Amino acid sequence: MILGIPDPQIVLGYVLAVGFALACVVYGLLNWNKGGNGNGS
Amino acid sequence: MAVDPATMTVLVLVYLAATLIIGYIGYKQTKNHEDYLVAGRDSHPFIIALSYGATFISTSAIIGFGGQAANLGMGLIWLTVLNIGVGILLAFVLFGKKTREIGHRLSAVTFPDLMCKLYKSPMLQYISCFIIVISMPLYTAAILIGGARFIEPTLGISYNWALIIFALITAVYVVFGGLIAVMYTDAFQGTIMLIGMTVLLAFTLMIVGGFEAGTTALTNMAGMVPKALADQGMTGWTAMPALGSPIWFTLVTTIVLGVGIGVLAQPQLVVRFMTAKDDKALNRAVLVGGPFILMMTGVAFTVGALSNVYFYNTTGKMAVEAAGGNVDSVIPLFINACMPDIFVVIFMLTLLAAAMSTLSALYHAMGTALVCDLWGRGRECALSMRAHQYGIVIMMVVSTILAFLMPISIIARATAMFMGLCACAFLPAFAVGVYAKNPSTKAALYSMVSGAVVWFLWTAFIHAAEAKPLGLCQAIFGKVTLLGAPWTAVDPLVIALPVSMIVMIILQLQYGKDQPAVTPA
Repeated sequence: MILGIPDPQIVLGYVLAVGFALACVVYGLLNWNKGGNGNGS
Repeated sequence: MAVDPATMTVLVLVYLAATLIIGYIGYKQTKNHEDYLVAGRDSHPFIIALSYGATFISTSAIIGFGGQAANLGMGLIWLTVLNIGVGILLAFVLFGKKTREIGHRLSAVTFPDLMCKLYKSPMLQYISCFIIVISMPLYTAAILIGGARFIEPTLGISYNWALIIFALITAVYVVFGGLIAVMYTDAFQGTIMLIGMTVLLAFTLMIVGGFEAGTTALTNMAGMVPKALADQGMTGWTAMPALGSPIWFTLVTTIVLGVGIGVLAQPQLVVRFMTAKDDKALNRAVLVGGPFILMMTGVAFTVGALSNVYFYNTTGKMAVEAAGGNVDSVIPLFINACMPDIFVVIFMLTLLAAAMSTLSALYHAMGTALVCDLWGRGRECALSMRAHQYGIVIMMVVSTILAFLMPISIIARATAMFMGLCACAFLPAFAVGVYAKNPSTKAALYSMVSGAVVWFLWTAFIHAAEAKPLGLCQAIFGKVTLLGAPWTAVDPLVIALPVSMIVMIILQLQYGKDQPAVTPA
């Protein structure tokens, strides 16, 4: 039982939800100044 | 705990005034059709992220699915996983950048316009537009009804007037300010939502003694699962339902996959990508979007499930039972029962903001589709701001009439139906369109039509949740659905999306090479 939750599938869901949110933050920070060519390709 | 009506009314009026002022600022910055349709293609990353998130999250995501978490448990957290993983990361990184770049290059201003220019096919523009104009008013009507139900008791006015006032106030800033006003107000509303959900999480964790204490208590309540749910596969509020059971199919196919994947290729969200000046703006928007969605659906689902602990400790009943069997009443009841007055007000504003931000985006997407892609296609008037204003007003009126006329049993399914149809009809053609060097018009056409048709057939004749209220199967065949369990619990998206994908892939491989590459406009 992790954090009071017995089902690893639920635990994995929470880990992935928080993990993806953190991945968004990391992605945003790593690419903060990339792709700044104005419009077009 | 009752909130002082005067305080509530004043705060709601202040909120509405602030929304209209922000909308007015957007109106003043709207100078031409590109400002009106794609916010001048120069939106700030934070505005893009909050607008996308606030449009994405409607009242039903918080109240409806929060209530479902109270009913079915924490398995709904997998919808949050898809909301962030698919709805933000995949959508922005994989589709957002390509959509922005191609949208700029081809000067596309609406989703159907983008499809037309990607495939050089007015037919695809008409079909996309047709699907939007037919299905989006239903979804809009559902949002309108949700908002009116909140305004009715809050301002002490009749339901009919509440619905009309809600429709008109939102329409005012959309009609005059276009997408800039919509996105500015979205950002304001998204900020209110973020504050509301943060406070909701904090109070709930205080009430149940922290996350682990709450989940442990919830785990110990597994033996109290109502017999009707246990018979259908539910094993507890901190465990997934039994694999392959009816509840498992509902949770995994309808809620997690149906809504989680359904967010991709929604026209009103795709347009947000085209408002970015460059990829840098989208990169920065990802940073805000992920945590924002976690704080919306992640909090709603966690609070919904944990509300069972509170209700059991105080009333001896589970949450849905305490709410009189109405899943949609769980979250409002929980908040009214245990939160301080001021938070009840903040949360009510959160719900109003969630409804308005989604509603405004739908008005804009429907109205511009009607004018740019149907009535004015290929003509000068397609880009006229005045014509678009008329288009938005027409679609607002249609949606409001639908909200008055449609049976509530169908309206209740409208959100899931709209998202499912969008994904099945648009996703494969949209994905191939932005990525393939030579996207095949024939493949896109057959993929869209097959996706939409199979989705409709499964919805009307197999999937019990929609087939029953629609009544088409009953009228033609004399029975509610054509197939029995477990098929009646399998969401139409799980069947129709693979069909439209397979059709797209096979025909793209066959005809894609014959089609000339899309060239800059």
